[in-house]
Amino acid sequence: MSLRAARRRANRVQGPVAQNSGQRQLMRRNFSQVGRALVRQVRGEALSVLTSLMLVAVTTIALLILDQFFALRHVTLVYLVPVVIAATKLGIGPAVIAAVAGVGASAFFFYPPIYSFLVEDPQHVIELPLFVFVAIVTGHLASSLRRQADLARRRETEVHDLYAFSRRLAAAHTPNDIYTAIREHLASIIGRRTILFETAPPGVPGAALSDEGQVPDAVKRAMEALAEAGKGSGNSSVVEDGEGRVWLVRPVSGKAGDFGVLAIDLGQQKGKMAERVDAVLADATAMLEHLDLGRALSDARVRSETEALRDALIGSVSHQLRTPLVSILGAATVISSAPGNRGDPRLASLADILRDEVDRLNNDVQDLLDAALISSKGVRLDCEWVEPADVVNAAVDRRQRLLAGHRLRVDIPDELPFVYVDPVLLEQALGQIVDNAAKYSPPGSQITIGAKIESDAVVLSVRDEGIGLVGEEQTRLWERFFRGQRGASSVSGSGLGLWIAKAFVIANGGQIEAFSEGADRGTLVSIRLPAREPATPDLAVSGDG
Amino acid sequence: MDSATILIIDDELHIRQFLRAAFEFEGFAVHEAHNAEEGIRSATLKPPDLIILDLGLPDRDGSSIVERLRSWSNVPIIVLTVRSREREKVRLLELGADDYVVKPFGIGELIARARSALRPRVVAGNDPVVRVGPLEINLASRSGTIDGKRVVLGPKEYLVLQILAQHAGKVVTRQQIMRQVWGAAHLDDTHYLRIVVRNLRKKIEVDPARPRILLTELGVGYRLAR
Repeated sequence: MSLRAARRRANRVQGPVAQNSGQRQLMRRNFSQVGRALVRQVRGEALSVLTSLMLVAVTTIALLILDQFFALRHVTLVYLVPVVIAATKLGIGPAVIAAVAGVGASAFFFYPPIYSFLVEDPQHVIELPLFVFVAIVTGHLASSLRRQADLARRRETEVHDLYAFSRRLAAAHTPNDIYTAIREHLASIIGRRTILFETAPPGVPGAALSDEGQVPDAVKRAMEALAEAGKGSGNSSVVEDGEGRVWLVRPVSGKAGDFGVLAIDLGQQKGKMAERVDAVLADATAMLEHLDLGRALSDARVRSETEALRDALIGSVSHQLRTPLVSILGAATVISSAPGNRGDPRLASLADILRDEVDRLNNDVQDLLDAALISSKGVRLDCEWVEPADVVNAAVDRRQRLLAGHRLRVDIPDELPFVYVDPVLLEQALGQIVDNAAKYSPPGSQITIGAKIESDAVVLSVRDEGIGLVGEEQTRLWERFFRGQRGASSVSGSGLGLWIAKAFVIANGGQIEAFSEGADRGTLVSIRLPAREPATPDLAVSGDG
Repeated sequence: MDSATILIIDDELHIRQFLRAAFEFEGFAVHEAHNAEEGIRSATLKPPDLIILDLGLPDRDGSSIVERLRSWSNVPIIVLTVRSREREKVRLLELGADDYVVKPFGIGELIARARSALRPRVVAGNDPVVRVGPLEINLASRSGTIDGKRVVLGPKEYLVLQILAQHAGKVVTRQQIMRQVWGAAHLDDTHYLRIVVRNLRKKIEVDPARPRILLTELGVGYRLAR
């Protein structure tokens, strides 16, 4: 712990140079030799000394001009201005230089004998050292204030980054999301190209590369070696990639051991940089540990496995439940139509019963699958221009047996505009409503299925003379698994049908609503779809070209 | 014709059993295969007159089986599929399957499809007249009558009706019709076809809103009822 604190301090003391942005370091990478970087650093310091001297010079000129008009006393005090400016902008060193230069300038230009560094007045003799003292103290205060402000600002960005990062972790769906988040987080705090290897969890072979960027082979080998051998070893190593670049390779560990290996592109310089990156990483790793990355990772793995499992289940349920139905219906219809049995009305009616029951079961299975698909993947549309009458006819024809006990009326005008929808989903939605109408209205009553144009919409409607809607049924009708109390015991159903119908209609850009005048007064359900006309050149449908 | 041979490719024993019984009752000879490899081998060694192919075989994807069979054989293929897989149906029909039946099905439905698929394709030869209920289409004179009365058909209307008549009883995908009538450039303008179909229904159907002759297979194409 104390080592880490020491490293942290070392990191901080490096000051502005160490805190250069990644961009600047990238630029510096182009000037290849370390020596040249040193020259740059010296040149940078010389520049700040020069700047502070310039500030003193400007102050002196201003004072000389003012001195022409007013007899100035205590000019030394004015030199506090360049000192404070130098302290806040350039640091304590330039501030001290400014203070000394200020003293020199006031002795030379303002205190008799003028144009000499000698000072005659004993009051001035006391004043000058006092000024140097005050200037240095003020400069120190100003520069440490600035450092604290910088630090606070940096902390703020760090906290902000960390917060964003932890939110990403919580929202991650797959381990891959998490690895990408870690990689990007580390890359942003280090300001270097960073690549992360996933350490395989126990029982899973191999380590996956979380980034597709180009990785030199030497680095790849080092990472793989560390991923395999270095469980919990915590060693970092520096690798040269043969192109003059240096990479730092080190494991990243959490509570439950290593969860990855990190490679950081350090560019041409090692030494200091590697040390600093190591220190930053030590901090970051502690933070990752705190966020309980291990659990986030396993949560994400469970989540993605759950989704895969659900998809597989949907597929296999579909197959497992339907296959027997195919055999049951097939075999029954073969028996009733076998040569010896053909024309026997009793067998035919038994086959009809089986047919009805199989249809019902098959529809229930379909409802379950549709519901599972809607909630896991949403509705996938396959839209085309559709003749509304085709949809109504398909929905009615598919349910001919169910509707046989009712008086059916289909009311479709000759000229309806086409609608741009997924015809299969729309037919299923309408079919659900027709099913309900047939189930919740007495045999012999009339069911009217209609289509009409209403301002800019095509409206498909199903009207029955059944039990109608009362109370909460009016509002809760479209909820998943909702079933009205009055019909629940006598009519079979899953409570999914209308929910599915609504999902399909809304996905097709339509609206669905139900209206009833009350108990036993029937229900009217209408599906409203936007009507648009496709562009059709006359010649396309009538010409002979 | 009823001595025709049917090859059933299905991994479910029970389905094969009732299909065998049904087709044998109808006087067909039946071969069975329980996976795709065996089915393809059987189709090569003893070429059947019709193949019934269940999709979702464990060893091979349905479309690749149809593709493989079609690479050397014109044998009619009927696929057994499940609901709400319209894209797959269209793809299989485009690859050369002749028709499909949605599971679960009554056997009568499958046998009717099988008979339609086995019927030779009508060409303008000895008897170039296709009769579908009250509708008669003369492929030689490019004209149609309904209940003996002549129907005046536009050129596109005639072309669409002719294509459907030549495949009477079988489903024809929208794309197949679009390609032949409007050309490959207009494959997506299926509303042209819908307008022609709407006009055709006005001319040949008793109640155009409840068609009995020119039927729509939602999301797939059209079928001329037999």
